Amino acid sequence: MSAVLRIEDLRIETTGDAPRALVDGVSLHVDRGEALGVVGESGSGKSLTVLAALGLLPVGTRVAGGRIAIDEHVLVDVGAGVWAGERELRALRGRTAAMVFQDPMSSLDPLRAVGAQVASAVRVHAPMSRRAARERAVELLTSVGVRDAAERAGTRPHQWSGGMRQRAMIAMAIAHDPLLLIADEPTTALDVTVQAQVMDLLAEVRERTGSALVLITHDLGLVAENSDRLAVMHHGRVVETGATRAVLDAPAEDYTKRLMAAMPAESERTAPAVRAGEPDALVADRIVVEYRVPGRKAPVRAVDGVSLRIAAGETVAVVGESGCGKSSLAKAVLGVQPAIEGAVVLGGEPVRKELAARTAAERERAQIVFQDPYSALDPRLTVHELVAEPLRIRRAYTRAAVTKLLEDVGLDEGHAKRLPGQLSGGQRQRVGIARALALRPKLLVLDEPVSALDVSIQAQVLELLDGLQREHGLGYLFISHDLGVVRSIADRVVVMQQGRVVEEAPTAQIFRDPQHPFTRQLLDAVPRLDGPRRGRRPLRVS
Amino acid sequence: MTAQLAAVAAPTPRRWRPRPGAVVGAVMLGAVLLLTAVVPLLPAFDPMGQDLRAALLPPFADPAHPLGTDALGRDLLSRIALASAVTLGMTLLIVIMNAVIGSSIGILAGYFGGRIEALITLLSNVTLAMPVVLLLIAICAVLRPSAGLTILVLGCTWWVGYARVTRNVAASLRRQDFVVSPLTQGGDTFWVLTRHIVPNIWPHTLIIAATDIATIVLITSSLEYLGLGVQPPVPSWGSMIFDGQRHLGADPWLALLPGIVMLLAVGGAQFLSQQFTAETRGGLLRKGGMR
Repeated sequence: MSAVLRIEDLRIETTGDAPRALVDGVSLHVDRGEALGVVGESGSGKSLTVLAALGLLPVGTRVAGGRIAIDEHVLVDVGAGVWAGERELRALRGRTAAMVFQDPMSSLDPLRAVGAQVASAVRVHAPMSRRAARERAVELLTSVGVRDAAERAGTRPHQWSGGMRQRAMIAMAIAHDPLLLIADEPTTALDVTVQAQVMDLLAEVRERTGSALVLITHDLGLVAENSDRLAVMHHGRVVETGATRAVLDAPAEDYTKRLMAAMPAESERTAPAVRAGEPDALVADRIVVEYRVPGRKAPVRAVDGVSLRIAAGETVAVVGESGCGKSSLAKAVLGVQPAIEGAVVLGGEPVRKELAARTAAERERAQIVFQDPYSALDPRLTVHELVAEPLRIRRAYTRAAVTKLLEDVGLDEGHAKRLPGQLSGGQRQRVGIARALALRPKLLVLDEPVSALDVSIQAQVLELLDGLQREHGLGYLFISHDLGVVRSIADRVVVMQQGRVVEEAPTAQIFRDPQHPFTRQLLDAVPRLDGPRRGRRPLRVS
Repeated sequence: MTAQLAAVAAPTPRRWRPRPGAVVGAVMLGAVLLLTAVVPLLPAFDPMGQDLRAALLPPFADPAHPLGTDALGRDLLSRIALASAVTLGMTLLIVIMNAVIGSSIGILAGYFGGRIEALITLLSNVTLAMPVVLLLIAICAVLRPSAGLTILVLGCTWWVGYARVTRNVAASLRRQDFVVSPLTQGGDTFWVLTRHIVPNIWPHTLIIAATDIATIVLITSSLEYLGLGVQPPVPSWGSMIFDGQRHLGADPWLALLPGIVMLLAVGGAQFLSQQFTAETRGGLLRKGGMR
């Protein structure tokens, strides 16, 4: 069988005086119609490997060795001195091999109608009139499940949801029936339910066009359900490869086993840390949050009368799709986006709804750990200064206090002098936690605290959070879309849909016996290691 | 993926490497600054003293006047040195005033948004629409032209560029979590502005200021040429070129020498500023095939 993509002994280095190998000795192949999953944590070189195949390496990196061929056409053979030119690559991109990127928000031009962007993708390789291209674009959009495509084609990306945008990206990718589709974390930015729809669509599109797929992801569950073969990458090398089912059932390499073990366990928290007798960390009563949207008269109601109680030492997870109001609820608790109705009680004492009206003592009772460890920390300040900031605000700074806080989250003096840019994602999140703990809050709002982290790091941070909760009797308001993580850390789960709570129950009950149809839908959409294969069989070769 | 790209594109710590253009710029500007600093220390430094018997000496003819003398017999080297000090000093003041005014306005607009921003945008547009040179001529027609007046008018009307850039940076910073965080801990707006917004914005201000220096030198010199600004007998590049142009046929060095020094300063500042601006350019993806 001929390979659509064949990578042999690929080596990618940084450019510059002291080249560093980012990918070394990687060999991969994808046969016609086959789906290959490439899994690994950030920095494993999985994206670089595949970007190199299309000649799309970022500035500062280069192919230093090996051979890449797409559909038997050699693009690079360092040994033989073959280097494809830009023109050659352009002829290939989009026609033989097409790419679906991670973030549908940034991969479409915000100023151009979506239909026009799909039409451009059509016209790149197929000389036809604008009109014909537009018609073809509408056909393509219809084929990827965009309803009323003819009408919607004229609207711009901001009027499309994340899932719909990803459909448009897929429409562009399949415009020329490519032999190979490369999807780099295609659903990472999407909700689980939307993720399931997009993966179904990819499977269906492949059925129709016979394209092979390279699926790059950090999510083992996703490859389990969507690939025929699997390559596990670690530190720029392929550590294990084989049929997906075989590898997952009996992983041969330690790293694969570690990766699987780090997946949130499908079991609930066994030892709750709830402290009886202490005042509740949070009592939120019938909270209503509304936003004014420019151009619309009636405000949008993001949270519609939600009540929530979190005991000291208890973890309550709020789950739901994006836009369900879970983040707005958290903001209302903190006062960043004040509730227009309802009441907030923190640590047994009522506080004012607006942050600006709260006294410093009121503010310190609820602290937040942000989702994005990159924007959460001022890039100019050292770790020590970052953690010292809340103490300085309250004029309670001592060197020893900061050292103790850093120690509590597993960082030492060596880390204290570093800047955020010199830390890994997990370390940054630890700094964020230390900063939130500095003022001894009663309630910690955890807004997707581990969703930006690799699974193995995720497990460490969750463990840290668990320990801190037991030590300080903290109440956690845990906001997440990742039900696996929620299951392993939460005592109770609150499911939100369109600003309202649709179901609330202890974690075990939610996962064993979900009552509300929406809860069931959420649970079904989570990809699982032992899940049924979503894609159809490898396609027949003509 | 994004993190990976960033890590590759901006390795930390970055090694500071001067660009060839910036080195040339530094040498050019350095020469002017050296002239300005060293000549006043020489025993023969006398920019004002007239000696009509030694008028219009060519350069290198008299060791007492290395660059010759002007129509009133004043030492040209001394006058050029003093003119450089005057023009560069004025430029520096004007640039600093604009940078401070513009950045403050931009930060306020970007951070607070809403009505303040709308008001400031209006103010910017009005300022931008004003013909600064004509305005200055009009003011000078009413008041007496002086260096102070030029500094004041130019210093208060050339800030829109700073305001535009810093407004955008401040608006994007305001949405960053690290700006929200101190608020939830009891910090106030002043704390956030001084600890997080200003320190993250001044590098941007510096870059604009670096590119602005050359422009301001040219504008002040044109005004001096028109007789607005520093008044005789104190020299400036613009007024020296104006005086020299009457003797352009027979004694061209009178206009040429200050012109050359001005060229060195403007060109030097411009080349040097590329060191800053070029850092931020460059695409994310490699181009030009596999190699």
